Amino acid sequence: MTALVALLFFPAGLSLILGGMFYEWADRKLVARFQSRVGPRWFQPLADAIKLLSKEEIEPLGVNRLLFWGLPVLALAGALTAGLYVPVFGLPPVHSFAGDLIVVLYLLSLLTLCIGLAGWNAESRFSIVGATRTLTQLFAYEAPFMLALLGPAMAAGSWQIGEIVAYTEQHWMIVLQPIGFFIAIIGLMGKLELPPFDAPEAETEIVAGALTEYSGRGLALFHLGKSVELVVGLSLVTAFYLGGLGNPILFLLKTLGLLFIMSIMQAVLTRLRIDQTVGVWWRMGALLALLQILALVYVAAR
Amino acid sequence: MTTETLLQEAGRILAPFTQSSAAPESNRLDVVIAADSLTGATAALQAEGWGYLSAITGLDAGPEAGFMEAMYHFCNRAAVASLRVRLPRDGQPEIATIADQIPVASFYERELSEMLGVHVIGTPDPSHLFLPDDWPDGVFPNRKDFNLEQAAPVQREAPPVPEQGRVGNKFIVPIGPQHPALKEPGHFEFAVDGEIITGARMRLGYVHRGIEKATEQRSWVQNLYLLERICGICSHTHTSAYAQGVEKLAQVEVPPRALAIRALVAELERIHSHLLWLGVAAHEAGFDTLFMASWRDRETVMNLLEGLTGNRVNYSISVLGGVKQDVGPEQVRSIHKSVGFLEERIRYYLNVVSTDTLFLQRTRGIGAMTAEAAIRYGALGPTARASSIPRDVRIDAPYGAYAHFPVSLTLDSRGDLEAKFAVRLKELLVSCFTIRAIVDNLPPGELSVRFPRRVPAGETVSRVEAPRGEAFYFIKSAGGETPERIKIRTPSLCNWTSALNEAIGHQLADIPMLIAGMDPCFSCNDRLITIRRGDTAHTYTWQQMRAWREVRP
Amino acid sequence: MVKIGSLFDALASFFRKPTTEMYPFERPEVAARFRGKLVYDPAKCVGCNLCCKDCPSDALEIITIDKAAKRFVVRYHIDRCTYCGQCVQSCRFKCIGMSNAEWELAALNKEAFEVYYGREDDLAAFMAKFSGSRPADTVQD
Repeated sequence: MTALVALLFFPAGLSLILGGMFYEWADRKLVARFQSRVGPRWFQPLADAIKLLSKEEIEPLGVNRLLFWGLPVLALAGALTAGLYVPVFGLPPVHSFAGDLIVVLYLLSLLTLCIGLAGWNAESRFSIVGATRTLTQLFAYEAPFMLALLGPAMAAGSWQIGEIVAYTEQHWMIVLQPIGFFIAIIGLMGKLELPPFDAPEAETEIVAGALTEYSGRGLALFHLGKSVELVVGLSLVTAFYLGGLGNPILFLLKTLGLLFIMSIMQAVLTRLRIDQTVGVWWRMGALLALLQILALVYVAAR
Repeated sequence: MTTETLLQEAGRILAPFTQSSAAPESNRLDVVIAADSLTGATAALQAEGWGYLSAITGLDAGPEAGFMEAMYHFCNRAAVASLRVRLPRDGQPEIATIADQIPVASFYERELSEMLGVHVIGTPDPSHLFLPDDWPDGVFPNRKDFNLEQAAPVQREAPPVPEQGRVGNKFIVPIGPQHPALKEPGHFEFAVDGEIITGARMRLGYVHRGIEKATEQRSWVQNLYLLERICGICSHTHTSAYAQGVEKLAQVEVPPRALAIRALVAELERIHSHLLWLGVAAHEAGFDTLFMASWRDRETVMNLLEGLTGNRVNYSISVLGGVKQDVGPEQVRSIHKSVGFLEERIRYYLNVVSTDTLFLQRTRGIGAMTAEAAIRYGALGPTARASSIPRDVRIDAPYGAYAHFPVSLTLDSRGDLEAKFAVRLKELLVSCFTIRAIVDNLPPGELSVRFPRRVPAGETVSRVEAPRGEAFYFIKSAGGETPERIKIRTPSLCNWTSALNEAIGHQLADIPMLIAGMDPCFSCNDRLITIRRGDTAHTYTWQQMRAWREVRP
Repeated sequence: MVKIGSLFDALASFFRKPTTEMYPFERPEVAARFRGKLVYDPAKCVGCNLCCKDCPSDALEIITIDKAAKRFVVRYHIDRCTYCGQCVQSCRFKCIGMSNAEWELAALNKEAFEVYYGREDDLAAFMAKFSGSRPADTVQD
C-alpha cells in the first residue's frame, strides 16, 4: 500500500509533476529577472498544463496513430519512472537495485527518443528537421554526460544510486572532480535542450522543432515529461556532486543553486547551431570527460 | 565631380540614344529614348560605370492621352538621370528587359508588368510580385481607368505542391507567412539538403495595401499621413521624402529651423530603428537577453520622441512647409540626457557583438558579401556599407539640414554579418553626435510657412536615407489638389537579392540571421520573388536561371 | 578563452527592479505633447471645415443644424481618427487640441466611438432634432 502511495503521489508520481512545475517556474522567473523582466507568477506552469489539457488535439494527416497517441504517454512514463530511482526532494530513492544508474540514464534518454520519434512521425517539415536535430544532439552529449556521472560512480565503486549517494554524502565530488561537475551541468543543459543547446526547438527557425504538430493533451504530456526530467536531472547531479542527501531543505537549496547557475548560462549565451553544438560536445566535452576518467583511474591505481 | 559635370557626362554617354532631353531640376536630366534603344542606353551607362539603377517608374498618362511611360532612374551621387520610354497604351506595350545587365531590375520590371501591363520581354521571372495568384488577367491597378469591380478574384489551379514537401532528395522548408521568425508576413521556401540550403524562393505582397494608387485619391495634406503609415520604423523618412518633394514642386522654402528639427527626428528614428533591429537580430540568433536589453534601451528613445512629437511611432512632426512642434530648452535638456545614456549603451552593444564568443560564432564569416557582389545585387544602405560600398544619400546628395550638419560615412570591408552589426551600431554613434550638434545649434526662426492647396504641375525626384538605405520618391503633379502619380521605391526591396543569394550554401539555422542581417521591412516593400534552385551549393547566374525557367514546365 | 559579453549586464539586471511597467496597475507618465483624444473649444469655432477637409481619415464632420443661425455640432469618430494632429495644425482659430489625459479609448460597443462636440445649446438642439434616429452622414468634403 505504501509502495503504491509512494509510486503515485509522494515522492514520485504527482509530487514529481508538481515539483517539475515548480522548477520550471523557478527557471523561467530567474531567466526573466536576468533580462530585466518580471517573469511569470508561481502558478503559470500549472495554468499552462491545465490549458493544454483542455484544448482540442489535432491529429495531422498521415501519422501512425499508435505512435502519435502513445509517444507522449511513454515519454512522461519514462521520466516518472526515472524519478523512482533518483533521490528527489532530498529523500532516499523509492526503489533501488544494483545498476540502476544505467537504467535511469536510459529512461531519461527514452524521453528524448520519444520526442525524436514523434517528430519523425508527424511528417511536417519543421518537425522532421527538429527530430533530426534532437537525435543528433542526443548522440552528441550522451557519452560525455554518462562519463561525467560515471566519475562519482567509480569513486564510490558502485552502479547503484543509493550507494553512490551514500558515498558522495561524505565526499563532495565538486571538489574532487571539478571537471566532471562542469561536464555534468553542461550535459544536463544539453539533455534538457536549454539554451545555448536549444537548436532542436529553435523557435525562430523551425517553429517548435519535433513537437510542432502536437497540441492539447499530447503537448501537455511532453511538456510535463520535460519538467519532470528537469527535476530528475537536477536531483541526480546535485546528489552526485554537491554532497549527497542530508537535509531535504538543504538539498532543495542546492538544486535551486544549480538551477541558478543554469539560468545564468541560459540568459547570457547565444543559441549554437546544431553543427556547432555537436562540435563542442564531441571535441571539448568528450575530451574533458575522458580526462576526468583517466585522472580517476590514475588515482585509483596508485 | 559636381552634380553639373555628372549630368553633362550622362548627357554625353546617352547622346547616341537621345530623342530629346530636358533638365527639369538642377540635379536631374530627363532623356527621352525609343523603346528599342533602352538596352543600349543602359549598357552604355553600365559600361562607363555611371550611377546605379535606383527605381523604375511606370506612369500612365490616361486613356485620352493614349500613352504610358516607363522611367528608368539612375542615380550617381546627387545627380539623377532618368531614361523615359514612351509606350502605347493599347495593344500590348512591350519593352526589353535590362535584368540581364542589372539583376535588381527584375523586381522593378515585375512590378511594372503587373501594375501597368507592360510586357517586359525576356525578364527572368514574369510571375506576380505583389498581386495575389487569383488576380484576373488583363486588369492593371496602376492604370488610370482601373476599376475595383474589375478585380474580382479568379479561380485558378494552384501550382502543384511537391509531394511530401520533397524535390528529389531535398526538402522544402517553408517559412511564413505565419512563422515565429517573421515579424511581418512573407513567404520563403528553402530547399534544404540536410541542413544546407540549396535553393531559395520568396514571395511577398501579403501586406500590400495599394498605397501608390491610394495617394491619387487624397489631397496633398492627407497623403502626408497616408505615406507615414507605410512603415512604423521608417515613417519619418517617408514623410520627409514626400514633403521635400512636394515642397520642391510648390517652390516653397522651408525655414531652416524646421529642416533642422526634421533632421533631428530622422536621426532619432535611426536610433530607434537600429536598436529595434538589433533586438530582432539577436532574437533570431537565440540571444534573447540582448533582445530584451536593446528593446529596453529603445524605450528611452521612444519616450524621448513622445516628449518631442507626441507619439512613440508615426511621429507626424512634418507638415507641408515645415514642422508642427518646436524644440524648446526643456526638450533640449532631455535630449542631451537621453542621448548620453543611449550612446553609452550603444558602445556596450558594439562591444558585445564584437567580442562575445558564442555570438560571433553565429555572425563571423557568415553571409560574407564582396563589394562586387553588393554592386551587382544592387544593395543599399548599411547592407552595402558593410561591404565597403560608399552609398549614403545624406552624404552623396545632402538634403534638408544635412548640408549644415554633415554626417560621416560608416564603412566596413568584411561584408559578413558581423560587419553589418558593426556598421549599424557605429552609424548610431554618428547619429548621436549629429543629434547633439543639431540641438546645440538650432537655427532660430519660424516653424512652418504657408503652403498652397494646389501644387503647380511638374515632376520631381526626392531621395532620403532611411535606416535601411535609400528611399526613392518620384512625385508628379498635374496642378491639382491631388497628386497625379507617386512612385515609392523603398530600400528593403533592393536588399532582398543579396540576402537570398548569400543564403545558398549556408545552413538552415543561418537563414533567420541572414535575413535579419539585411534588416527587412516587409511593410515597406512587399514586392518580390526570386527563384533559385541548385543541385548542390551551386550559384546560378541570371542567364542560367533564365535557361532553367525555360526548361522547367 | 570564451568571452561572454553580457554577463555583468545580466547579473546587474537581476538585482535591479525589472523595467516592465505593470499596466494597468501602474499607469505610465504621459508626455505633455501626447496626442490623445481631441479637445474642442466650441466658443472659438466658426465652422470653416478646414479640419474636416484636411483629415486623412474623415474622422471629423460638421453637421449643420441651422445654417442661417450658424448652429452646428461637430461629430468626431474616435475609431477613424489616426491621432495625427493635422486638424490642430489646420485650424486657424486654435479651437482644437489633443488631450494627453484621455487616451484609453477602447470600448465595448461602436456607439461610444462617435462623440459630439459643440456649444451647449447647439448640442441640445441637435439631440432634440435627431433624437432616436442617427442623422445621415453629412461628410463635408
